[in-house]
Amino acid sequence: MLLSLVQSLCSSSLSSSSPTFKSKSALPSSKHSETPPSPSSSHKEPKTAVSPFQPRPHPEAITLPFSRLTGSGSIETREVHSAVAFVSARCEWLLDGKQNKGLKLKRKKTESGLVPTHLALGSCHRGGATSGFTVSEFTPAGKLLVPSGSSSKGLHLHCCCCMEPFTILHKASSRKTDKISTGTGKSRTTRRIDLTASLPASTDISDVNAAESNERHYSNMRMEAFEAVWSITESSIKDVLREANATIFSEIHEWVRDSFDTIVSFGVPNFHEATQPFPVVKDATSKKIFTGLVLTRNLEFVDDLMTFEDLKQHLKSQGCHVANLSSVDFSSRNGVGTCLRSLLGQFLTGSLDTADISMLATWYKEQQNNDNPVVIIIDDMERCCASILSEFIHMLSEWVLKVPVILIMGVATTVDAPRNVLPSNALHRLHARKFTFQSLPEKMNYVVETAFLKQSSEFTISHKTAVFMRNYFAHHNGSVTSFIRALKIACAQHFSTQPLCFILHWCLRDEDNEVPQSHTYGLSQERMLKLACDLPSWKSTSNQITQLSGETLLDGLTQLKKLHKTWRMVVLCLYEAIKGENVQLLDLMCEALDPKGPFGSQFDNGSRVLPRDNSMSQKSHSLEKNKSLINRAIRRVKELPANQLLVLMKAWEKHTVDVPELHSEVKALVLSVLKLEEDGESLNQNKVEMTNTRRQALRGNLNAADKNSRVAYEKASNLVDSMVRKYVCPVECVALHEVLCFDSVDKLQAALIGDTRRRIQIDLQEFHAIIRCSCCSKRGSTILPSMPDSSIMYTLAQEHGDVVNVHDWYQSFKSVVLSTHMVSKRGKSRSKQHPPTPKKRKTTNELSEPSEASIQARFCKAIVELQVTGLVRMPNRRRPDYLQRLAFGS
Amino acid sequence: MAVQSHARDAQNLLRSRLCNPSFVFKALSGSPDSNYSKLKFILSSSVTEACNNSLLLLGPRGSGKTAVLELVLNDLLEEYPDMISVIRLNGLLHNDDNCAFKEISRQLCMEHHLLFSKMASFDDNSQFLIAMLRECGLAHKTIVFVLEEFDLFAQGKQRLLYSLLDAMQSITSQAAVIGISCRLDADQLLEKRVRSRFSHRKLLFLPPSTEIIERLLQHILLLPMDSTLPNDYATQFNTKLESVLADERFKEILKNYLSSSSTINHLLRFLFVAVSSIDVKSGYPSLDNFKTALSSFRRQPKQECIKDCSILELYILTCIRRLESKEQKSYNFNSVMKEYKSIHDQFQTSDDYARNVCLRAFERLLQRDLICFSDNRGQGQSVEFRPVKCLISHFELQEGIKAYRSCPIILTKLLDR
Amino acid sequence: MGKEESPQAARRTTRASCAAASNGEVGRSTITPLHNPTVSDLAFGGEPLSSEDLRSSFPARRPQILELVHLLGPHSSPMLPLFVYGGASTGKTTVILQVFRHLNRPFVYASCRTCYSPRILFESILNQLLLHRKNEANGYSSAKRCEKPSDFVNFLREDVGKVVDSLKDHSGKRKSNKSRRWPKGDILYLIIDNLELVREWDKSSSLLPFLFNLYDILKLPNFALIFVSSSSPDTYYSSMGYIEPIPVFFPEYTEEDLRQLLIRNQANQKLYSCFLDIVLRPFSRVTRRLDELSTVFSSLFQKYCEPLSDTSLFPNDEMKRRLFSHFRPYISPALNEIFWGPSQCLSGIESGKVTRQRGSIRKHEDNEDFTEIGFHMSTAAKYLLISAFLASRNPATLDASLFDSTGGSDNRKRKRKASEKSMEQKETVEQESLMKGPGTFPLERLLAIFQCITSVIDVSIDEEEHGDGFSTDGGNSSWLMSNVLSQLSSLCDANFIAKGGSCPLEGSTRYRCTISEDFALKVARSIKFALPNYLCRR
Repeated sequence: MLLSLVQSLCSSSLSSSSPTFKSKSALPSSKHSETPPSPSSSHKEPKTAVSPFQPRPHPEAITLPFSRLTGSGSIETREVHSAVAFVSARCEWLLDGKQNKGLKLKRKKTESGLVPTHLALGSCHRGGATSGFTVSEFTPAGKLLVPSGSSSKGLHLHCCCCMEPFTILHKASSRKTDKISTGTGKSRTTRRIDLTASLPASTDISDVNAAESNERHYSNMRMEAFEAVWSITESSIKDVLREANATIFSEIHEWVRDSFDTIVSFGVPNFHEATQPFPVVKDATSKKIFTGLVLTRNLEFVDDLMTFEDLKQHLKSQGCHVANLSSVDFSSRNGVGTCLRSLLGQFLTGSLDTADISMLATWYKEQQNNDNPVVIIIDDMERCCASILSEFIHMLSEWVLKVPVILIMGVATTVDAPRNVLPSNALHRLHARKFTFQSLPEKMNYVVETAFLKQSSEFTISHKTAVFMRNYFAHHNGSVTSFIRALKIACAQHFSTQPLCFILHWCLRDEDNEVPQSHTYGLSQERMLKLACDLPSWKSTSNQITQLSGETLLDGLTQLKKLHKTWRMVVLCLYEAIKGENVQLLDLMCEALDPKGPFGSQFDNGSRVLPRDNSMSQKSHSLEKNKSLINRAIRRVKELPANQLLVLMKAWEKHTVDVPELHSEVKALVLSVLKLEEDGESLNQNKVEMTNTRRQALRGNLNAADKNSRVAYEKASNLVDSMVRKYVCPVECVALHEVLCFDSVDKLQAALIGDTRRRIQIDLQEFHAIIRCSCCSKRGSTILPSMPDSSIMYTLAQEHGDVVNVHDWYQSFKSVVLSTHMVSKRGKSRSKQHPPTPKKRKTTNELSEPSEASIQARFCKAIVELQVTGLVRMPNRRRPDYLQRLAFGS
Repeated sequence: MAVQSHARDAQNLLRSRLCNPSFVFKALSGSPDSNYSKLKFILSSSVTEACNNSLLLLGPRGSGKTAVLELVLNDLLEEYPDMISVIRLNGLLHNDDNCAFKEISRQLCMEHHLLFSKMASFDDNSQFLIAMLRECGLAHKTIVFVLEEFDLFAQGKQRLLYSLLDAMQSITSQAAVIGISCRLDADQLLEKRVRSRFSHRKLLFLPPSTEIIERLLQHILLLPMDSTLPNDYATQFNTKLESVLADERFKEILKNYLSSSSTINHLLRFLFVAVSSIDVKSGYPSLDNFKTALSSFRRQPKQECIKDCSILELYILTCIRRLESKEQKSYNFNSVMKEYKSIHDQFQTSDDYARNVCLRAFERLLQRDLICFSDNRGQGQSVEFRPVKCLISHFELQEGIKAYRSCPIILTKLLDR
Repeated sequence: MGKEESPQAARRTTRASCAAASNGEVGRSTITPLHNPTVSDLAFGGEPLSSEDLRSSFPARRPQILELVHLLGPHSSPMLPLFVYGGASTGKTTVILQVFRHLNRPFVYASCRTCYSPRILFESILNQLLLHRKNEANGYSSAKRCEKPSDFVNFLREDVGKVVDSLKDHSGKRKSNKSRRWPKGDILYLIIDNLELVREWDKSSSLLPFLFNLYDILKLPNFALIFVSSSSPDTYYSSMGYIEPIPVFFPEYTEEDLRQLLIRNQANQKLYSCFLDIVLRPFSRVTRRLDELSTVFSSLFQKYCEPLSDTSLFPNDEMKRRLFSHFRPYISPALNEIFWGPSQCLSGIESGKVTRQRGSIRKHEDNEDFTEIGFHMSTAAKYLLISAFLASRNPATLDASLFDSTGGSDNRKRKRKASEKSMEQKETVEQESLMKGPGTFPLERLLAIFQCITSVIDVSIDEEEHGDGFSTDGGNSSWLMSNVLSQLSSLCDANFIAKGGSCPLEGSTRYRCTISEDFALKVARSIKFALPNYLCRR
């Protein structure tokens, strides 16, 4: 199985474009599979996938390599790629219109960050998966969905980027890494590998095996560290999101209850009546289906998949029978039968050859408890096929008395959506009620808060990264899921690149007293120290300390931790202050993280001198102009009404618990504010007792209030100023911050954002960069026969207009190819080190002319490659002998 | 009391008569030149002289082709027991050859108490058919193939017809193929190879003449004297009936009714409604029964539809009409809506409704089949963009609106100009 | 469609329901189905329905009931096929079922809505004939597998034969067991409901003629057919041939009927009649469908009663006047509203939750986004949507003039060109837009426009969004990335952009933007994009 999978991967990538092919073929995985990729097996794979009876790939099957990506290299690489091929096979028929399975797959996949990447990969092996389905929610690299033709090269790059964190770790150990050095994606890979792999080389070259094992152990530990750190973050985020929905869930549930009671109030048919084929005779209003329109208020419905899943669980736990349908079941291709089948499939046991709703009635009556409604959740109403959905609704409303069905439909856009989608006669069968999920920004605030400010793991991101992620979120993929995934990738990359990352793990179990036990991570003490003092931030700050010992490192780290903690705390407080006016926490954070910003620059790197007040004031004054959130917060605190101030202070008190000095200040302030607040309390007391004394009590309190309110206020403002001045110290200004802080935007960006066709065009021109080929690099504009076919074709096509005459094209191609035999010597010698496809063939029958047939075959193959990569469009009926060029000047 | 029960029994009897074609057509079987006699002669010849026959029974729907055939077959089965086996096929059910052959072999198996296997392939079945034909031929047993909806068998490759007619060319086989079709050009549908093997014998079933109809009326409606019904009731019933049948107005009604189509089944349906509307209380037929029967058949569905429409829907229909009178070739909801708005801008009518309400009315019209989409293209497109066409004529609409109670006058005006 | 349920009927149902409860108990204690099915299950069951009850419970349907009873005739007398038709929710199904209940005849009912395919239709009919119930025990499988009409006919022959025989001998010894009501007569009726749906089933349209000829094909004396359809017989002519079944027509309810029907089962009939005086006439001008009216009125009546302390008292004139004056404003919006759900819950049924939500929305930072659009779209998606709208709205010929190399920054030139164009092809374009709606466009054009737009706004975005002076790498320095194309797919899924199905590799997929202009304007406003400058005016 695995082998065939791998082969299918290779051959499919072969079919996509030759540079990719070369890079792929060099992978250790295919090296390990001795059998040469046989087209039969490779073709078999997608075909079997196409058959609708194919079992859905299980998430385990695919996430397996991710979870076990720790041991010795090649096996896992192969597994990863098998996973790739596995899913890619699916994606083949994602494109074949079998969307439904694909989406089902996605629905499973919202968990694991890895698989969807492959999904994207697979899909793009077919070149340009059109927007038939959204990969957008899969993964950033899923963004490969380039409708007419995607860069399979770029795509490869993506799969690399997104697999990097997982594949590299062991590639470092397996010594074949330098061979995997083609394709920019891979080249980046190698760079990073050198970075990690250099370390053992520097220390002990003596015994490779020891280094091997040591290295492997090291990577394992890092993997564990990563998992530990990430799992904490992820779980906490999940919890927050879940409890954010708790209220709306309970609301939905009680609505379900009420509507169920109303349905029952029309009378419950007994078993016999319910199972009769003819309808129960009742009032017209009794044929209405109670429908909850749940506004998810986000165009991207990824986040809501999980939410709906949670809702399902919630309702289940309340005893309702819940079924979960998605637009997939309402595809126009196969009528109402499909959704009925999948609906029944979720309740009934055993295989059904026909599905009709009377079965549901029978089943419902057979249930032990008939006092629970049947709730049907439709995730995404907009993308259902209208006719099927309305048919379904009609059918349900015929039976709603026998089977008390309650619909819950997720609406991504607006309440009017059903009106636009459904015909009126279906519409008036619905008795709708509107619910609203939390808006995306709110969710985001929760996530950011938990991920960066509350979270117990110290991992954080640099200002650049934060800004990038913010823009990415705002501009490109507005879904929390993708944001979290971006974060995950950042974290993983951090762990894969930063040799000292395990310190994060150490921070986790905070044993502040002793030095991080580096050797437990397979890293000797001195090496750790060396690495530590190699860190630029350390170099820059404490240049006086030439060599640092464990202790210095330790208190450096503790210092770092402390600063980071206070920073988080202060940012939280500030956020607390301006929560009311709906600030995006992320923006606030970006500002607070900014090392060159007003707050950063007052700490000249790391060594912390207290800035002069005038500078501070003028700085803040200057800040007034480019209205910074922090200043807004400060101002707000100053002009807050008393009672709100108290609330705020209370909140601060909670936040600042673990920073004693601040905590005390806040406490004092709270007390003073309390004093000024007590009239409020007294008011309350008066309420309880007699009312007639209230008036003078009020009067007394009022003048008391404005007396000490002034005091309280300036206290508060002082506090805020000092807080901001002292503690808003961007992490990048602190020594050793590289340990905690991920700062390589370009990598993240490369992982997140895919390229367009332009990428392929470039690669087809500078292919020599990919196949390290001596001659081609120094060729000018001349077309050498030793170039890969697709490049030749592409360069030839450049000379034509937007339509290319196939015949001319072929002739020129042929002339180029036949000109090879003068240079066949060089071709041969070269073909030793780098055998690209065409010349592999030549090395076998080198002296003999390539036959007409073979040339034509190569021509066709190249054209198909260009088509698959979306550069040309096959001829249409009107102009049978002309191809159309789709993409122009790169 | 007694009369009621008698009436009920009488009704019962008449209804069962009306629902039993063979009884009805017995009456016509007497005369020598009737289709009955011809058909019987042909078939009996093929039974006795073992000559293979093939003929077509042609005539409009409900002219009693099948019924007559059944009569003949029953009589023959009585005359020559177990010398005939009848295979009945229907073009609606067995128009694909494979399933037709399957059905043939199934019936043959049932006829001869053989074991029928569903799994048998097309070739097996055709082989089996040939074999059975030979066997029956040797046993001097005639197989009569009755092909109802013959024209439907003539669709496609006509393999069934060919193999049947071809098998009949051989001496050994002894069979008759009788096609029943309401298409008078049924034999023109046959391929050359089939037609060449087909003996072009046709029996035409013409609409019955008035005296035949009168005979039928007598035959069907008069109660028998020798039955469970008491004599006096029967006599009274018959006298009443005679008087009704003799009545000029009745003749008028009947002529009026049969003017649309004068097949026997058509008549039977009419009589059925009349009979079943006989009031059990009085217990005797009257002219009103036939009147009600006529009214229940004299329906103008379009008019009814227009009556059912709400006023808003009428407005929309009017707009569509106006668009058509403006020689606008194709129009959809949007253009109708434009017209609608313009009308309101012009006349400030009371009922000017929101777009979505009008859209609902529009969809309602679609459901009522008063308008329909003019093409099946653009399924994906929303309703308001798909061009529609109107299924009722200007005249019908005018009539409908005239008949409509409480219809705003403005509509008629709008329609006229 | 059974709104004509009389008070008695209501009582009966309540009794039935409690009986149901007890039955349920039994069912719970023993999982096995309640009783082994007999032929008597083919009758409607339940208590007998006297003819008076029948008449009184369907005040507006007397003639139809009479006609049906006559046509069905005395028990065990054969019948020619009937064709019952009439608009939706005119009580066809209910009346027929109640008539059968009254006559207590054995029948088989199959609705073409529930049985959505020939196979399921056939099998459900056969199951009923064989008294077979799909249940857990038999794995919800039907008694016989039957897909082809020919098989169906064969099965039907034998099964109907069996049933009729059992009916016969039951009717023979009906005197003996009075205890259980055996169905009267030995005729088996087959009711096929929602026949109009069959027309959409198969375009091959072999099924309809088959169904219409079923009676003649079977030639069974004890078998009767009743078709129920919401569309008149003349819409079937193509498939029926000339053998029409006997038609029975259910007309729409007249206004008086509606009043009768609506006022039944009302607590305070006088009050309700006053209410009806106000609403019935205007509403019946729009629609006379009972189900729609009843739902609309049920919610409107609450509004009407709001000022009343107790709804039981009889309204005098000035009270009527007061109620009317309070009620008047609700009428016309209700007239122009077709969808009743959300509007209800907006009017105060909602708990505080949603309102708080909305408050938060209004105060939100990128508030125009929320208050106007109401849901989140990423900026790229917005631009993409706008460019799609432009591509659909503007003729492709104008693209060059609208977005030239300068990104359409010089308005003068563009305006002039656009106006010229619009001058010459005004009415044609208008007609076009009315007929065709938004135009289609290939992906390449969309992307081109997208790039033009974004190239214009890039600058502005830059300073507006990164006030902290950081140029964001990849954020929007190059807008056109594969991400954008996935946004496109999201837009397609949200029905904002319709996609003509075609092979992606051919690249000839065409898109069409289906959003309304004002929505597009909202979106444009939310990203401060001057959309009107780019629209070619007509």
